[in-house]
Amino acid sequence: MSEMRSHGPDPVPVVEGSAIGIIPNPMSGRDVRRIISQASVFPNAEKASMVLRILRTVGTLGVERVLLSTDTFGIAAGVQREIKRLSGARSSAHVRWPKVEFLTLERPTGTAADTTAFAETMAGRGSAAVVLLGGDGTMRAAVPGLGDTPMLALSTGTNNAFPVMIEATVAGIALGMIATGAAPEPTTHAKLLHVEVTRANGGVRHEAALVDVCVNTLGVLGSRALWKADSLRESYCTFAEPHSIGLTSIAGRLRPTGRDEPRGVAVRLDDPSVAAHTVLAPLAPGLLEWVGVLGSTELQLNVPHPVELDRGTIALDGEREVEFGPDDAVTVTLAQDGPRVIDVPTVLAASAHAWPTTTCVFA
Amino acid sequence: MTQTLSTLGSDAPDASALSEAQLLDVYRTMRSIRAFEDRVHEEFATGEIPGFVHLYAGEEASATGVCAHLDQDRDTIASTHRGHGHCIAKGVDIKPMMAEIFGKTTGSCRGKGGSMHIADLSKGMLGANGIVGGGPPLICGTALAAKIKGDGGVGVAFFGDGASNQGTTMEALNLASVWDLPAFFVAENNGYGEAAASTWSVSADNIADRAAGFGMPGVIVDGFDFFAVYEAAGEAIRRAREGGGPSLLEVKFTRYYGHFEGDQQTYRGKDEVRNARENLDCIKRFRQGVTESGRLTDAQLDEVDAQVAQLIEEAVTEAKAAPVPGPKDLLTDVYVKY
Repeated sequence: MSEMRSHGPDPVPVVEGSAIGIIPNPMSGRDVRRIISQASVFPNAEKASMVLRILRTVGTLGVERVLLSTDTFGIAAGVQREIKRLSGARSSAHVRWPKVEFLTLERPTGTAADTTAFAETMAGRGSAAVVLLGGDGTMRAAVPGLGDTPMLALSTGTNNAFPVMIEATVAGIALGMIATGAAPEPTTHAKLLHVEVTRANGGVRHEAALVDVCVNTLGVLGSRALWKADSLRESYCTFAEPHSIGLTSIAGRLRPTGRDEPRGVAVRLDDPSVAAHTVLAPLAPGLLEWVGVLGSTELQLNVPHPVELDRGTIALDGEREVEFGPDDAVTVTLAQDGPRVIDVPTVLAASAHAWPTTTCVFA
Repeated sequence: MTQTLSTLGSDAPDASALSEAQLLDVYRTMRSIRAFEDRVHEEFATGEIPGFVHLYAGEEASATGVCAHLDQDRDTIASTHRGHGHCIAKGVDIKPMMAEIFGKTTGSCRGKGGSMHIADLSKGMLGANGIVGGGPPLICGTALAAKIKGDGGVGVAFFGDGASNQGTTMEALNLASVWDLPAFFVAENNGYGEAAASTWSVSADNIADRAAGFGMPGVIVDGFDFFAVYEAAGEAIRRAREGGGPSLLEVKFTRYYGHFEGDQQTYRGKDEVRNARENLDCIKRFRQGVTESGRLTDAQLDEVDAQVAQLIEEAVTEAKAAPVPGPKDLLTDVYVKY
């Protein structure tokens, strides 16, 4: 005689129209810092696993639909294969998978522009939030496409300041609760550093950074990464945490500034072999370097700050992006007009009572 | 005229600190490779070139960016079947190279090797190699020699995405790691192993990811950008030279011609090559970068173009006029006495 086994409470009902977007960047975590230090290599198979954990979680919480970016590096393919396999497995019969739409781009470029395009598509197709798996560069690339859609930034490596290292399942809970209306969306906007480069011919280039702008003496974009202490001259930061890794760790040592404070930090730097003051800072994982410091100041909102160096490159969130010369005028302006960012601990702490329960267990 | 990059040496400065002469040297090398390959492409179509040729056009930034850090005396490279660019970047003379491709006695190997076997040990160029995955084990040998001699020499193996799947490559990566050799593995991922897309044929997401399995760092660079390759290769070679052990660099780009001359390339997208030539080309990008920043002028670069064009013209004319090996040459230069 077979025994009926209890399956527990009924599943959480699906909230019609609820949706989130997921963008795992297949190219993050592969730059030259793996040679010069011990920066981690984050395998794409693990990114696929993170996506699967988010899918399971938001599905369980009643999210109807997930939009997932596709790639040629096996992340989306791995997710598709696993969903197919697990959906038919008896052991996971109780798991409710959301409807997953695999998004493709008409003209993929294999560059950061693809991240922007995916973010824009997801925001335009009803995603309550977009979660990004990558590094600082991935997050920066998503910003122009997100519009007012909140982002959740998950780190896939050891070399990031903006995205956080938090278990994808827990991030999925926050996403699921926001997407189904069980928790409120974030209301405040992150800070951005706007860089304006006015060329001699009158042309103007605009760029923006989520974490920091670092003006340096290197004359070419090269391998993009920036880690040579003697090349650093000016560092502008939206926030500066003493426990951060990378260029903002310099300001984090001198003038700690929180992500939610209405101000930033500017630090003037010099070659440590000639500077009167030096600080030891972790410029990359495993790479503590002496950095020459001339001084630091508070960076006020909406006040353009002219760059003093007359030739070099500008690194945005750790990667060299703009070359400039003596005929170019460069300004950096801090503004509170960045994306709305989901802070997982804040969301969960504020709405723990709203987690799905069968009976009220809260006093 | 054929000497390239010799002024840079092993203590090359940061890419942004390259002097005017060094930048011109870099440009001359990349332009020489392009002009050489474009001309071989034309000449092959006439039927005068025996054997197969595999052209390197589009990939110039890789060989140039890596070899810019190498000395002729103590550093060695092992190449592939697509080896003309590596030869030129390592300083092999262009006229004997062209003669070799035409199978003439004035060639680098006296006409007995052809395109896939050009070698010049005096320049530290161990040879192009018809065996896919044949180069990496050779480099373990030269790197071991350099380590024993203690001369700071580095062995560099260029190999493709197809070769990244070969057992010889895996064994070499393993050996270099366990022996802690001053070796540098450059995976030139041009997207295709013959006609098979590397996104299908390479099981890892990136060739660079395989490095972790052998206990060495692996990084990826944009192969269309000379400065990106130059910086990353510089760090890897410095690491090897200073006793830090081997590393792997994956250079991603595409080739402008087929796998071999005559390849119909039905496996490629319609606009794939055109897009790369128009929007990504490493020589265009280099030229634009150095002229816009005022480090070089168009006039300087045009002069290099003219000099290279003349050199290639002379190389082809002289190669065609040179004699082919005769029956008396059958057994010469074939066997080596130890």
